[in-house]
Amino acid sequence: MAEITDVSKQKSGALSDRKKDIIQKFAALGSLFMLIAVFSATSSAFFTIDNGMTVALQVTSIAFLGIGATCVIITGGIDLSVGSVLALAGVVAALAVKDYGMPVWLGMIVGILTGSVCGFINGLMVTKLKLPPFIATLGMMMIARGVALQITGARAVSGLGESFGELGNGSLFRIVNIGDDGFPTVVFPGIPYPVILMVLIALAVSYMLNRSVLGRHIYAVGSNADAARLSGVNVSRIVNFTYVLSGTLAGLTGCVLMSRLVTAQPNEGVMYELDAIASAVIGGTSLIGGVGTISGTAIGAFVIGILRNGLNMNGVSAFTQQIIIGLVILVTVWIDQLRNRR
Amino acid sequence: MQSRSAETSQSAHGAAMTTGRGVPAAGNEPLLRLDNISKEFPGVKALSNVHFDLNRGEVHAVCGENGAGKSTLMKIVSGVYQPSAGTISYKGEERQFASTRESEAAGIAIIHQELNLIPHLSVAENIYLAREPRFGLGGFLVDRKKLRADAKRCLDRLGVDISPDRPVRGLSVAQCQMVEIAKALSLEAQVLIMDEPTSSLTEQETGKLFKVIRDLKASGVGIVYISHRLDEMAEIVDRVTVLRDGRYISTDNFAETSIDQIVSRMVGRSLEEKFPDRTSSPSDEVILSAEGLSRGHVFRNVSFTLRRGEILGFAGLMGAGRTEVARAIFGADPLDAGTVTLHGQTLSISSPRDAIAAGIAYLSEDRKAQGLAIKMPVDANMTLANMEAVSNRFGLIDFAKHAKAAKDYVDLLNVRTPSLKQPVRLLSGGNQQKIIIGKWLFRQSKVLFFDEPTRGIDVGAKLAIYRIMDELAANGIGVVLISSELPEILGMTDRVAVFHQGRITGVLETKKTTQEEIMRYASGYGPAGAARTMHG
Repeated sequence: MAEITDVSKQKSGALSDRKKDIIQKFAALGSLFMLIAVFSATSSAFFTIDNGMTVALQVTSIAFLGIGATCVIITGGIDLSVGSVLALAGVVAALAVKDYGMPVWLGMIVGILTGSVCGFINGLMVTKLKLPPFIATLGMMMIARGVALQITGARAVSGLGESFGELGNGSLFRIVNIGDDGFPTVVFPGIPYPVILMVLIALAVSYMLNRSVLGRHIYAVGSNADAARLSGVNVSRIVNFTYVLSGTLAGLTGCVLMSRLVTAQPNEGVMYELDAIASAVIGGTSLIGGVGTISGTAIGAFVIGILRNGLNMNGVSAFTQQIIIGLVILVTVWIDQLRNRR
Repeated sequence: MQSRSAETSQSAHGAAMTTGRGVPAAGNEPLLRLDNISKEFPGVKALSNVHFDLNRGEVHAVCGENGAGKSTLMKIVSGVYQPSAGTISYKGEERQFASTRESEAAGIAIIHQELNLIPHLSVAENIYLAREPRFGLGGFLVDRKKLRADAKRCLDRLGVDISPDRPVRGLSVAQCQMVEIAKALSLEAQVLIMDEPTSSLTEQETGKLFKVIRDLKASGVGIVYISHRLDEMAEIVDRVTVLRDGRYISTDNFAETSIDQIVSRMVGRSLEEKFPDRTSSPSDEVILSAEGLSRGHVFRNVSFTLRRGEILGFAGLMGAGRTEVARAIFGADPLDAGTVTLHGQTLSISSPRDAIAAGIAYLSEDRKAQGLAIKMPVDANMTLANMEAVSNRFGLIDFAKHAKAAKDYVDLLNVRTPSLKQPVRLLSGGNQQKIIIGKWLFRQSKVLFFDEPTRGIDVGAKLAIYRIMDELAANGIGVVLISSELPEILGMTDRVAVFHQGRITGVLETKKTTQEEIMRYASGYGPAGAARTMHG
């Protein structure tokens, strides 16, 4: 008797749960489409291939960082250091090329590895020193920024040569016609390399989270670290991995950003960590851990990117933009809370 | 089913109850009366047509199995829930409490099983939390002197010697309970609901609590007493109401009923059916042996053997070291000294991963905190300890194998779940426990430590868990049952290792022992040589 009522409870709970899940997914995706519709109507230049590629390119840095943030947050952690780490990584890559004469590709790899090392240190501070993730990565945020400023003397590193800009500014399938008058016309702007990287990384991490044992363990640690440990999961290694991933992606973001500017700015990337966390949260990742998807984070990153781009095109001031994005974050998280209330 | 056998002494309002709203003479009006209370949650009827009444100066016990509806009923009384149907009358007036604040203001206080004190605040601050006496700056400042004096008065009235200035974090559970009662007194409570007040008290502390309860009774407070410890009730309880599956079963004068009668009403069947017949019997082959296990002051020189086909019980009081020994063997906590041998091989275990690889599994007493990834679905939990078996060498999950493994064990253990994708937090306690068992069976574990496996599980599911344990033993898997419920130990095990203060004081043959003998060893009075002579 008791069990029968239990089962009926489960059924009704499951149905509404699934419904709520779908509502959440559609709410994010729906609001994304709504934004596109509204901006297309208000600005004729918005819904064009050119602008589409611009938005995609702008979104890449939020997306790279957001993907890392999602993995860290699923385990129940947080990474506040990525904005500073990306600056340090970009600066290191630039200095490696300029001062040590490394080829660009090698300099970039050194930059990305700098990010990995920062992430690894974050991981050790959380798993070995048992520091709260907020504090550990807050410290790293300050240290990495300080080091970036120190090694450059707070000056931008320029004169890196055109090849340094290839990663950030180049694109695939660019089609240009040279007209009869000798002026080139761009038929298709091409897909920027960072956008291709973004798609590949999003697919790879999503695959890892959904299909691999590693991904399963990431969710298990975030859902209940004690139970995971008592089931034989190496919790420290899993947590460490997520910070290394986040640091590595921050390193990549740094290289891409500096390459776009063909200049390494030690002041680049301030507050980017908050965009990254916001994209994850808008996409339904729970700060309590155990819940989150890459597709959600991608939607979140595009919501932020399209809002910025569209508001810019409509001549909305940067200050108003901040207010609107802040409100979007609050409303989406509130919807998420409603979903979880039972 | 609706027998109401208590109407001898309560004839006046017994009649009132049948007519529903009738108002009897003022003198006989109970302090609190609930009529035809029903409560529905989406999909479940938690209570249907429940009656309950409480007189001034009376201790009225509410009994029932887990899930019988006791807590829901008390949450309705204290305003946490509103009833779907039925009426509550308090001091002769029909009332609806919209929140605990309202019920507290009316004089109904509840002391929860898990005490709700704030460890960093002092005793006095806890008693008057959110009701601090104020002065100055428009009531901005706390009147510390008055706070202290008022708190002292409440504590004195209880006759307990706790300084109001002490921080709560340094108090024992019993002292915390006294602080909770003092808080209730400070509210001028006339109805005091106590949920499992003695569950973590020593015998002496329980005696003290009962004295306080008798004093409160004498001063006219009505007490609702919820407890699983029926044997203690004789000392203080006047009447007892039994609930089962959310339905009202009976109300009796305690003196006119018996514990057996109460239990059979709670369970709805006789006690013999609570445990299955054992099909396995111990052989001489030793599966697991532990020799001289020690860790700090937690346990010392613990040795035992577990034989094929045997269920070994770990009995003892809370904090006697049973759970700690199991956790140490499982690698969850470190071990200072001693060896563990499994199937003749001496193990070196430094983490749960080592133990799991060796074939040892531990089913935690706290399922939600330590046993399950609560947000994840059934299949993910079932395979969590053995992902190697459902993935390829690149660490990618083979979802066909994954689903089959989960389905196999859901079927084998008869887990009731709408789908393999159901998050486990939505399942009942019994089904959650089955999933944890399934997880370890899928891992091909050779020895399973069950730590309080039936806590918070309803009767039917308990029987299923017992059957599974018996089958495991019959299939050559070593089973250790850690339990605080002696009937469970006596009903299921072949031998019992009794713990007292971190030592095994005796290993007893279950068939030849009694509850009393186990209790004697558990309190440290047993003969010292027993442990060695009884070893297999």
